[in-house]
Amino acid sequence: MSRLDEATELTDAAAVDRARGGDLAAYELLVARYTVPAHRAAVLLGAGDDADDVVQEALVKAYRQLSRLRGESGFRPWLLAIVANETRNLHRSRRRRDGLVLRAAARPDPEPDSPDPADSVLARERRHRLVEHLRRLADRDREVLVCRFLLDLSEHETAAALGVPKGTVKSRTARALAKLREHLLVEGVPGA
Amino acid sequence: MPDRYDEDLVAELRELEAWLVTPEPADQRAAVRDRLVRGTRRRRRIRATVAAVVAALAGTVVAVAPARAAVLDAVGDLLRVAGIVVQRDAGPTALPATPSPLPSLRTATLAEAQRLARFPVKLPAGLGEPEMVVLADPDPAGAPRVVTLVYRGGKVRFDQFDGTLDIGFFKKSGTGQWTEIGSAVAIWVPDPHPVTYVGRDGVERTSTARLAGPTLVWADGLRSYRLEGFSTLAEAREVAESVR
Repeated sequence: MSRLDEATELTDAAAVDRARGGDLAAYELLVARYTVPAHRAAVLLGAGDDADDVVQEALVKAYRQLSRLRGESGFRPWLLAIVANETRNLHRSRRRRDGLVLRAAARPDPEPDSPDPADSVLARERRHRLVEHLRRLADRDREVLVCRFLLDLSEHETAAALGVPKGTVKSRTARALAKLREHLLVEGVPGA
Repeated sequence: MPDRYDEDLVAELRELEAWLVTPEPADQRAAVRDRLVRGTRRRRRIRATVAAVVAALAGTVVAVAPARAAVLDAVGDLLRVAGIVVQRDAGPTALPATPSPLPSLRTATLAEAQRLARFPVKLPAGLGEPEMVVLADPDPAGAPRVVTLVYRGGKVRFDQFDGTLDIGFFKKSGTGQWTEIGSAVAIWVPDPHPVTYVGRDGVERTSTARLAGPTLVWADGLRSYRLEGFSTLAEAREVAESVR
C-alpha cells in the first residue's frame, strides 16, 4: 500500500470529509489504512473464511453511510462496528460460526530468538489457556470481550457493534469477565 | 465503569491481542472502488468465490522431491496420500510476499468437467449439487489437472485430481494425523495451514490471500481428494464417505 504515500498526511477526518463529497481516492486511502484492522476484527469475531467478504461489504456500506458518521467518533471504531454487524449477519445466515479461529490462530511457538519474558514457556501456556477459555464462553460473552478489550472499542462503540443497549454491554462485560476468571481458577491456574 | 472490572484479566486480554495470528487480508482497494463506481453486487460475489478457490489451492512454497507412483508414504514428518503431502512442521509459518494465482482457472458446468477431465469426476452425495465447478491447470488438449466443486457459498471445497503423476498439493501443518475413509488411508488437518499447489509444469504457485481451513485428504486408488470446510473430522468423514 506504499503507492499511497503522497496521501498519507491526510488525516482520517479530512479523508472522510473528502469522501463524503464523492472523492473516491480519499476513500481509498481509508480502505488502505483500515483493511487490516477490519479483517482482524472480522476473524476474531468468528467470520473465518468469509472475513474478506465481510470486510468488503463493510467498506462499501461504510462509504454509503458516511453521512451518519458523527464528527466526534473516529472512522476506525465506526468501521469496526459495521464489520461486527456484518459478521453477525453472516452468523444468522449459516448454522455454525467460526469461533474456533481463536484457538487455532494462537501462535504455537515463541519467536526463535526472542529474549522477551512475555515469550516464556509459562506465559505461552497462560495465553493458550486464556484463548481456550475465551473460546468456550458463550458467543455473546466472547463477543463483548473481543470488542471491548481485543479490538479496544468503547462501551458505546461496542453497543453499536453488537446492537445492544450500552447498559447491556456494561453488565455483559462484567459477567463475561467473571465467568472467564472463574473458569481459569477452576482449572487451577494462579491468578495473574 | 472500568474500575468495577477485573483489571488484571482485562490487561491480560488486551495483551493477548498481539499474540493472535490471523490470515493475511485481501487487498480491497480495487474491489471496493469497483463496487462504488459500478454497483456490481452480484458479479462481485462470484468473483470473490473464484478468488477464494484460487487461494484454497495455493499457499507457502516448500521444496518437494517428486516421488512418483507411491500411493502411501511416511518419511520422517511427512504424511503422504497419493498426490498430497502433509509436512508436520509445528513452527510458525511465514507466508510468501507475493500473491500469484493458479494457471488457467475457469468455471465450467459439471457435464463439461466430466467430459474434459481424464479421470472420473466424483460427487459427494451428501452435499447435493455443487454451486460452482472450477477447472484448473489444463493440458494442451484442455483436460484439467484439478477439478474443484464449490458448495455453501464457497465455504466448502472439494478438489479432485490425478495424484499418481506428481505431488499436487503440499500442506504444512503441525497437526496432521492419519485416519481412514472406508478402506482408504486419509490425513486430517484440523488447523488453518498453508498449502502449496505444484503445477503440471512443476512450478510451485503461491498466494498470500488466505490459509486453508480444516481439511481432509485421501486417495481412492489413483485419484487424490481434498475436502475443505468442515470443522470436525466426523462431519468431513461423513461427506467423504458419500463420494460417488
